[in-house]
Amino acid sequence: MASNEQTPVLEVEGLRTSFFTPDGEVKAVDGVDFSVSNNETLGIVGESGSGKSITSLSVMQLIQHPGKIVGGSIRLSGDDLLKKTKQQMAKYRGNRLSMIFQEPMTSLNPVFTVGHQVSEAVRIHKKLGKKAAWQEAIRMLTLVGIPAPEDRAKRYPHELSGGMRQRVMIAIALSCDPELLIADEPTTALDVTIQAQILELIKELQEKSGMAVLMITHDLGVIAETADKVVVMYAGEVVEQADVKTLFTRPLHPYTQGLMNAIPRHDIDLDELEMIPGTVPSPQNMPDGCRFAERCPYATDFCIENHPELASPSNNVEDENTSGQTRCWIYTDEWNGSNPTKGVAANQ
Amino acid sequence: MNDPLVVQYGRFLGDLLLFNLGESVRTGQPVIDIIAPRFFITVELALWGMVVAVTAGLFFGILSATYRNTLRDYGTMAIAVVGLSMPNFWLGLLLIYWFSIQLGWLPTSGWGTPAQVIMPAITMGTAGAAVIARMTRSSMLEVIDQDYVRTARAKGVKENLVIYKHAFRNAMIPVVTVIGLQFGYFLSGAVLTENVFAINGLGRLVVDAIGQRDFPVVQGTVIVLAVTFVFVNFLVDIAYRILNKRIELN
Ligand SMILES: Nc1ncnc2c1ncn2[C@@H]1O[C@H](COP(=O)(O)OP(=O)(O)OP(=O)(O)O)[C@@H](O)[C@H]1O
Ligand code: SF4
Ligand SMILES: [Mg+2]
Repeated sequence: MASNEQTPVLEVEGLRTSFFTPDGEVKAVDGVDFSVSNNETLGIVGESGSGKSITSLSVMQLIQHPGKIVGGSIRLSGDDLLKKTKQQMAKYRGNRLSMIFQEPMTSLNPVFTVGHQVSEAVRIHKKLGKKAAWQEAIRMLTLVGIPAPEDRAKRYPHELSGGMRQRVMIAIALSCDPELLIADEPTTALDVTIQAQILELIKELQEKSGMAVLMITHDLGVIAETADKVVVMYAGEVVEQADVKTLFTRPLHPYTQGLMNAIPRHDIDLDELEMIPGTVPSPQNMPDGCRFAERCPYATDFCIENHPELASPSNNVEDENTSGQTRCWIYTDEWNGSNPTKGVAANQ
Repeated sequence: MNDPLVVQYGRFLGDLLLFNLGESVRTGQPVIDIIAPRFFITVELALWGMVVAVTAGLFFGILSATYRNTLRDYGTMAIAVVGLSMPNFWLGLLLIYWFSIQLGWLPTSGWGTPAQVIMPAITMGTAGAAVIARMTRSSMLEVIDQDYVRTARAKGVKENLVIYKHAFRNAMIPVVTVIGLQFGYFLSGAVLTENVFAINGLGRLVVDAIGQRDFPVVQGTVIVLAVTFVFVNFLVDIAYRILNKRIELN
């Protein structure tokens, strides 16, 4: 099953999701593009509030009122998900695409046994009977490395540790062999040794099934360890996109550079470290020009007035033929500010 | 009658254990024989009131929560406030006016046939329905944003089941307590309802007995109602414990 051929599983184009609050429209995700293929892990990084979770919930179509997907397209193996009815999407969720969440402590329903919660997904999608589904649940619990699964299946979530609960969540998510797994900060709430185990488990299961993984995180260490490609988000936009090696050796966007510079080691949580002075602009008064301008050491008047597009760099880089893209005027022919190569070079 | 008070009281308590509540000073009949048949009518009335209160309360509470902050939500909750504030004898009189006098659909009084049950049950149940609806709404709203509800959606559970299985199972725990308390109030609510609809239950009995200064009957009725109230609350406590056991440990 795990072939090395790669075809796009998830293709997101121009995704825009807004919240219609009494204070006006909050553009939480504002034109996001990315794609991820089978056997591939795409990492999404960015500060708190940059729109990572809203992006993944949009893909699942789990955005709740007053949020709404207002534009773009989301294709799963070629199927346009935004054209599906609610009923069709419910059939796909947990089946063709699954998601696990940051909070294993609260993500399981306290009044049902874990076995029930795993078998529920199987019963819905594989149309198995109660008994067969229970057997299948135990098989899944075994697969995700839960000791004494027959016994644990009969227990309630509060009887399990955080790490075990996240394993249960993974069992639920993978019980129907999805094409895509979205993991929204799956290890943030867990302690370090458990974190490594959970990431290892996801990797292992991916190798077995060949699924595509969307790994959302604050933690550049997690990115370095798991991702093949990376998308960096800032204020609802993608500001840089590259394969993981390129991103770490030659970050282009000043924001990405800031992230890398401020971090002596990879395993530091972005939110615990105020590495870049200033804050993300508030969604209510998003600047017209570059959204990072306020915090950017290279910002020019041109940057403040004009909004850059995500594009392959054609200026101020040595090797122009990489697959990476960035959203910054420095790397375009329009650039007329001071020569930033010092800053960029300092990173290489 | 000439014994000291303590001895009299002791005898009274002893009699109580044997269901001996004394005799009516009017008819000389044993009080327990007067109360027993009427007690079951009142319990039946209270149960029908409960059926109305619970079905309507849960239905409108869940509806309100799922359509939170929409016109449907505000409308339902406005009606609930009206239902809660309206004295139930007044509602009973209105119902009689509309359905019996104006439309002629339902009998004005009596007890026994299904047609005779409808209006008293609504009269009894409305205030309870309003309380339960408000409790259900706030309890559902607390639950509906929980991570595990999102998990249920994420694994493909249909929206109906998300609400009625995953959310409601959790939301119902505080609601059960309220329902139990309501049942206690229903027993006292029966007094007015029975008088409005001329139903021969305990409520009517006690009002008549007060009028006739039939002290043993009044006392017997009060004791029976109090014991029932305590017993129902005891049942609610047990139900609550069973429901809550799994969460308490968390
Ligand atoms: N219910 C809501 N109402 C209004 N705005 C919202 C709502 N939910 C999210 N947002 C907006 O969406 C933005 C992005 O939120 P999102 O949860 O995607 O951030 P994130 O990148 O996942 O952050 P974190 O790292 O903290 O999880 C927030 O800054 C907020 O302005
Ligand atoms: S466009 Fe200008 S302000 Fe924005 S990141 Fe690039 S240099 Fe900085
Ligand atoms: Mg998030």
